[in-house]
Amino acid sequence: MLTAAMAPTLFISDLHLSRDRPELVDAFHALMRGPVYGAAALYVIGDLFDSWVGDDQLRQPLAAGVAAAFATLAASGTPIYFQRGNRDFVLGQRFAAAAGGSLLADEVVRDLYGTPTLIMHGDQLCTDDIDYQRFRAFWRDPVHQRRTLALPYFVRQGLAMLFRAVSQRATADKPPLIMDVNAEAVAAAMRTHGVRRLIHGHTHRPARHELDVDGLLCERYVLADWYRVPSYLRVDAAGATPCGFEFAP
Amino acid sequence: MTDTNPTVVLHTNHGAITLELDAVRAPKTVANFLAYVRAGHFDNTLFHRVIDGFMIQGGGFTPDFRQKPTRPPVENEATNGLKNARYTVAMARTSDPHSATAQFFINVADNGFLDHRSPDAKGWGYCVFGRVVGGTDVVDRIKAVATGDRNMHQNVPKQDVVIERAEEKA
Repeated sequence: MLTAAMAPTLFISDLHLSRDRPELVDAFHALMRGPVYGAAALYVIGDLFDSWVGDDQLRQPLAAGVAAAFATLAASGTPIYFQRGNRDFVLGQRFAAAAGGSLLADEVVRDLYGTPTLIMHGDQLCTDDIDYQRFRAFWRDPVHQRRTLALPYFVRQGLAMLFRAVSQRATADKPPLIMDVNAEAVAAAMRTHGVRRLIHGHTHRPARHELDVDGLLCERYVLADWYRVPSYLRVDAAGATPCGFEFAP
Repeated sequence: MTDTNPTVVLHTNHGAITLELDAVRAPKTVANFLAYVRAGHFDNTLFHRVIDGFMIQGGGFTPDFRQKPTRPPVENEATNGLKNARYTVAMARTSDPHSATAQFFINVADNGFLDHRSPDAKGWGYCVFGRVVGGTDVVDRIKAVATGDRNMHQNVPKQDVVIERAEEKA
């Protein structure tokens, strides 16, 4: 058993779970059964699902199975925190409750082993992508969300498919730099929250960046998406380490 | 090692492999391994990753290639000084040093690069907790089987290598 002092905090994002990629769903369940056990906390920071049309999606066996696996972990004593991504931006309290976790605000600061750390999905940092930010502002509006969530389930499914098609076409046309984070937005976020460590996902460009914000050395960790290799970020007193969870020597 | 060390026999479809476990130098790892043995976890699991000249790994997957549920991870005791020498048994894990659960491997070569070097994610190494004291010929047969890709995995034996039963000897 891990001792409490050693127990790490784990981060995952951009799993993009869907019926189209059953092997990712298997990998998710393998993570829940193994490496994540005994963690001090698990943060799921956006795009857990490839698409989420409302918490009544829990009627899908895939979604219900994912929620049940989280709930089992939560029952074993590991708190679970969720942030919304750009694909599952209507993930709500009902899902979080079914999964035994809590839904966080889009940007939170947590003290992790003595280092205040800003945690977010990261889509809000891609300020060069003006079309996307416009889309985001519209759909994060509570009034629009309420109206949309009031539509029948199958209508929302149709809308989600439409969004995905439009987004894929737009993404294909955009220069890659526009879809990465904006350096100024990163610095501004870290300045506003008074932190020197930022953890986010979204860009599918896993890395550890060092940057200078007002003369202070800051770090930015970008989580890996699961499209290529399932992984998680392990944070403990020694720092942050990206980990695959294929068991191997 | 002493007479009080536990012994476990892995009955495979290629023959029996007897492991002597070092409860003195890897107490938590041995206790963890024995808990899986006693729970019958290893019964009907595969040696699913076989690389001749390196190691054979098993104890996690059923023959239909489902990963079995595990207990919480065990602390990595690779600082115990035991070496990943030929015919030693060690815990498999993810890139997180303290993530070993059920999967283990038997070294089929001297793999010094798997030993503990430093107390961080890169250098922690893989915890040796025992050695093969009977059935090295069985290990040699298994390491030589033909392998290929299966699901998302590489180096999977084309014909299942099955641990039919794991038995603890008094």
